[in-house]
Amino acid sequence: MLRIRLAVALARLVGAATRLVGRGGTALPGLVALAVAPRLIERIAAGIEGGVVVVTGTNGKTTTAKMITAMLTGSGRRVVTNRTGSNLARGVAAALVGAWRRGRLAADIAVLEVDEAAVRHLGPALQPRVIVVTNLARDQLDRYGELVTTAGHVGAAVSAAATAVLAADDPMVASLAVDHTRPVAWFGAVAELRAALPDDRALHDTGPTAPSRPVDALLSRADPSGDGTRIAVTVDGAEVGVTIQVPGVYNAYNATAALLAVARLGLDPVASAVHLAAMPPAFGRGQVIEYRGRRVKVVLVKNPASLNQAIRLLSEDRVPRAVLMAINDNHADGRDVSWLWDAEVESLSTTPHRFLAGGVRCADMALRFKYAGIAAPAESDRRRALDALVDESAPGDLVYLVPTYTAMLGFLEILLPHRSREEVWS
Amino acid sequence: MTAPLVIVHLYGRRMNIYGDIGNVLALRRRLEWRGIGLRAVAVDEGDDFDFEEADIVVAGGGEDASQQAIAADLVERGPAVHRAVTAGVVFLTVCGTYQLFGRRFVTADGSEIPGIGVFGAETFGGGSRMIGNVVVDTPWGELVGFENHSGRTRLDPGQAALGQVRRGHGNDGESGAEGAIIGNCLGTYLHGSVLPKNPALADDLIRRALVRRGDAGPGLGALDDAVERRAAESAASRP
Repeated sequence: MLRIRLAVALARLVGAATRLVGRGGTALPGLVALAVAPRLIERIAAGIEGGVVVVTGTNGKTTTAKMITAMLTGSGRRVVTNRTGSNLARGVAAALVGAWRRGRLAADIAVLEVDEAAVRHLGPALQPRVIVVTNLARDQLDRYGELVTTAGHVGAAVSAAATAVLAADDPMVASLAVDHTRPVAWFGAVAELRAALPDDRALHDTGPTAPSRPVDALLSRADPSGDGTRIAVTVDGAEVGVTIQVPGVYNAYNATAALLAVARLGLDPVASAVHLAAMPPAFGRGQVIEYRGRRVKVVLVKNPASLNQAIRLLSEDRVPRAVLMAINDNHADGRDVSWLWDAEVESLSTTPHRFLAGGVRCADMALRFKYAGIAAPAESDRRRALDALVDESAPGDLVYLVPTYTAMLGFLEILLPHRSREEVWS
Repeated sequence: MTAPLVIVHLYGRRMNIYGDIGNVLALRRRLEWRGIGLRAVAVDEGDDFDFEEADIVVAGGGEDASQQAIAADLVERGPAVHRAVTAGVVFLTVCGTYQLFGRRFVTADGSEIPGIGVFGAETFGGGSRMIGNVVVDTPWGELVGFENHSGRTRLDPGQAALGQVRRGHGNDGESGAEGAIIGNCLGTYLHGSVLPKNPALADDLIRRALVRRGDAGPGLGALDDAVERRAAESAASRP
């Protein structure tokens, strides 16, 4: 315990120092804590009275974890969570250290988003009370390797969890339950919405479709409503109707997973819906930011499945919009941009929108647009790209920024010049 | 122009890991922009197809399990593929199918996936993955793409490479060779996808197919490739 206290003290000191020099980074305190106390995560996690909820999967982790956190917090629980989306061991350690008060963790329960590769070790270390697996789709292959490998990592974590909350409609996720001896709670959607949920299999054959099975939480409605979505979900037979502030069928799916997760944690999903409704979008996940009189909706993309989700969202918007798609190829984005060719960019050619290509690999995005039959100017300079977005729209208009991860961080420095990243994340 | 060009996407359902669909799209658009008709055909495991009916066959890479799943089917088609290659049908094989167009692929755990031996080449799995943007000097000029493979492909003496790597790893990270070519059959580790960013190669595949049919005519009309060139330059400048 002494080692844990020392680790916490040093990590907090480092955190304070980095904030003083103006770098709101979250990696260093976690790294320091783990260097001093390598077993810090499992030691602290084991002492959390209400247990640990792990959220993992390819897409939707941040939003789903935020939804679960909102409902738990709304019901009076003190929640420790890695809300910055820093989802490797260092980020989890930093979150736990950050909630340390007077020699103990000032939280009743932990909700932790965990990277789908890191979860192989973090899952067993955290011994989750509930693990939520949102989906498993092809992701940055230069970082994650093959999808079956990722499924193996997630499977190891699922085996360590008391209860698994799994996506019934995702064949890869559904296959995780084959040898599972502990309780599984399934969430899914009615066929009509399932069809609207973009996944890898639209383009590729990644094996058989998931077997149909009765689910514990069923999404039956997801209609656009303002900037958000009106959803209807049946959880354990109880009807939940709520308008969430995040767009798209995929987020309705995330909400379904979150409602089922809190139900398994003992909350009443019907009573919790009000807290779900109050939850603002997570960082870059449909968040709207005012910039030079425009309302910029930021929709993060990172792989073909999430780009297809963004494309679906843009296709549903019938009002002509200016859209900036900004593709970077740094390590966190995936250095290989060939995934742009796997997404259904062609379907944007029938929308009324005007497209711009941005980011370090703006030329690749422009090329992808060209072969989809769309003429899109390329501009790698962030400020000039935003100028173009403004020029292509009128005051008061909604415009879209669809960036990869590091592209998003760069654009937010301009869009939110006076705020630190941590404020944005909170 | 008489009959449309037949573009075959071989194993598109399983071998499509790195945007390989972009190669089909590049051929399709570059034919459309020139007013040349085309017919796209998907050929997957078990599908009945005579490769001599094809003008251009494009095949991509896949995860290990996918590669193993198509291997038996490919071996069965081996004699037909050999006949088509001899007849001058144009093939572009990328990554996983390039490996299986060699004689064999010996995986890291020692098991062997038989190939069809169109290329005088063998591939050995294992070691660190070779990942990154690649620049290759070739008869088509500088080709750029992204490679991501752990298999090391060794060419027989006398088996011509597609080109020499200027940046990146290529076939085996040692020899400097990238890809292989025999007649109109090409193999490469470049994806990204390779054809959209390398229009000279895409157009040469089309030209070879037209020449084989006796339809070459006055040659292919030039297209504005400024966007393609910029994307290639940008890829070449990245790690």
